[in-house]
Amino acid sequence: MNFINYLKDKLYSLLIFIISLIIIVLLLSAFKTGKSLTIAITFILIVSYLTCILIDYFRKSRFYKDLLYNIDSLEDKAHLVLETITEPNFYEGELLYQSLYEINKATGESIHELELQTQDFKEYIEMWIHEVKIPISSLALMTHNHPDKFDKNTEEQIRRIENYVDQVLYYVRSENAEKDYLIKETKLNEVISSVALKNKDDLLENKIDLIVDNLDIKVNTDSKWLEFIITQIVNNSIKYHNKTNSYIKIYTKENNNLINLIIEDNGIGIDSSDLPKVFNKTFTGNNGRGLAKSTGMGLFIAKNLCTKLGHKISIESKRNKYTRVTISFSNNTFYEVVK
Amino acid sequence: MKRILIVEDDRTIRKELSSLISSSNYEPIELNDFANSYEEIISLNPDLILLDINLPYLNGEALLSKIRKTSNVPIIMVTSKNTEIDEVLSMSYGADDYITKPYNPTILLLRINAIFKRLENNSEIITYKDLTINMQKGLIKKGEEELILTKNEMIIFNYLLTHQNKIVTRDELMTDLWNNDEYINDNALTVNISRLRGKLKSIGHENAIETRKGIGYILS
Repeated sequence: MNFINYLKDKLYSLLIFIISLIIIVLLLSAFKTGKSLTIAITFILIVSYLTCILIDYFRKSRFYKDLLYNIDSLEDKAHLVLETITEPNFYEGELLYQSLYEINKATGESIHELELQTQDFKEYIEMWIHEVKIPISSLALMTHNHPDKFDKNTEEQIRRIENYVDQVLYYVRSENAEKDYLIKETKLNEVISSVALKNKDDLLENKIDLIVDNLDIKVNTDSKWLEFIITQIVNNSIKYHNKTNSYIKIYTKENNNLINLIIEDNGIGIDSSDLPKVFNKTFTGNNGRGLAKSTGMGLFIAKNLCTKLGHKISIESKRNKYTRVTISFSNNTFYEVVK
Repeated sequence: MKRILIVEDDRTIRKELSSLISSSNYEPIELNDFANSYEEIISLNPDLILLDINLPYLNGEALLSKIRKTSNVPIIMVTSKNTEIDEVLSMSYGADDYITKPYNPTILLLRINAIFKRLENNSEIITYKDLTINMQKGLIKKGEEELILTKNEMIIFNYLLTHQNKIVTRDELMTDLWNNDEYINDNALTVNISRLRGKLKSIGHENAIETRKGIGYILS
């Protein structure tokens, strides 16, 4: 709140005051009042007017300055400003304060309602996914028990359904503020083993060699989440493999307190113009449009999960040469201390 | 024959699990009434339990901890609940293994096998006809003669041996190899099998492993 602007706002009262003052002075001279009395009256009037203005200004300015300053420093949490200021003791301020309070309350209530709805929806999705996994399991068992009735292709389609279902599950989990992961010491080779077994048939059918090295190492992570993340990356490597001598290499490299898990393939690669966008939601670059159908969700969810777990994920690629995804786990001195 | 109890409320899965288990030379028992599941399980006295978590009446986790109070029967949790928290919880209640749906049926059988082997604790040395096999060392002995198998050859031979006189598919062999972190390809499997055959031949078991075209192999 700035004094000049405040005065501008009070312009009408200033004008009325000046006009009244002129009229009073004219009246006084018309009634032949003594000069010194006229000066005294004028002085008293001006002083009392200015005092009124100043008192009013300081009462208001303290409140508004606090309000504006706090809104500014709260940044995107500005809706919490009412908690940081004291209720003003002038009428307009009280009105404003009460209005803000009511608006806050109403907004808070509708946000809360939305949160409950989202929570309900999340719970429903989780439940639905558990439900849908039952028929998927039945199908997996049936194809195995009756190989005469189903061919290999059925199994492949079941695996696709399974992965899409998992994508939904982990999308819901990654978008939710609630913490439903558990970080514990996890052996990388066990996670890779699960991923490998899950994708065994796709890898063998596409004649892609899986080469692993230096995975006998422990990191702090949620093994189920990590398994999903790596599955998304491996799925991409399978989808965009080159026709001859394809391989996927999974190995670790340690540097400066970081354990880097690297998943590298010699597939068709990614255009450098697409590279910065591969982790964006629903992004499908030239690969996604050109070859196999892609939803653009896999890497987006993978990145989100990594962020939540505190891992870094990055990607490098050269067209028709390689794609290399690196997941970095910090050596978590924090957890060492806790232990 | 080992008796495996299936505690699963979905009828289709129960039926398919049963036929999977019986095809692998175990005797499946199904639990059909869940109102008194705990008492039923105890009175059936199985050798191993496949336990779902989402069950009517008493859920799997509660059942697990109740069973553990009186019995050490091996229990594999088979469930669609796939968070780390669920798994850690189940293991802390005393489950022997935890598998999430949908699972690879061959893997499930391998896990069941592994638990029985661990219990019998005599998996170290097996015999086949006049041969003594030391799994750990990868050694086959015939009298004084000794033969060393590579890790892959051993995994294949072991799988054929535990499924003796039954047809074993290439996919099953492959799954077992991959389950042991040996991510080999089709050609390598063929090479390993022919090397294993060669080694068996050298100690007088020339046609031990027969090929059933289009299906798989059989160790007679």
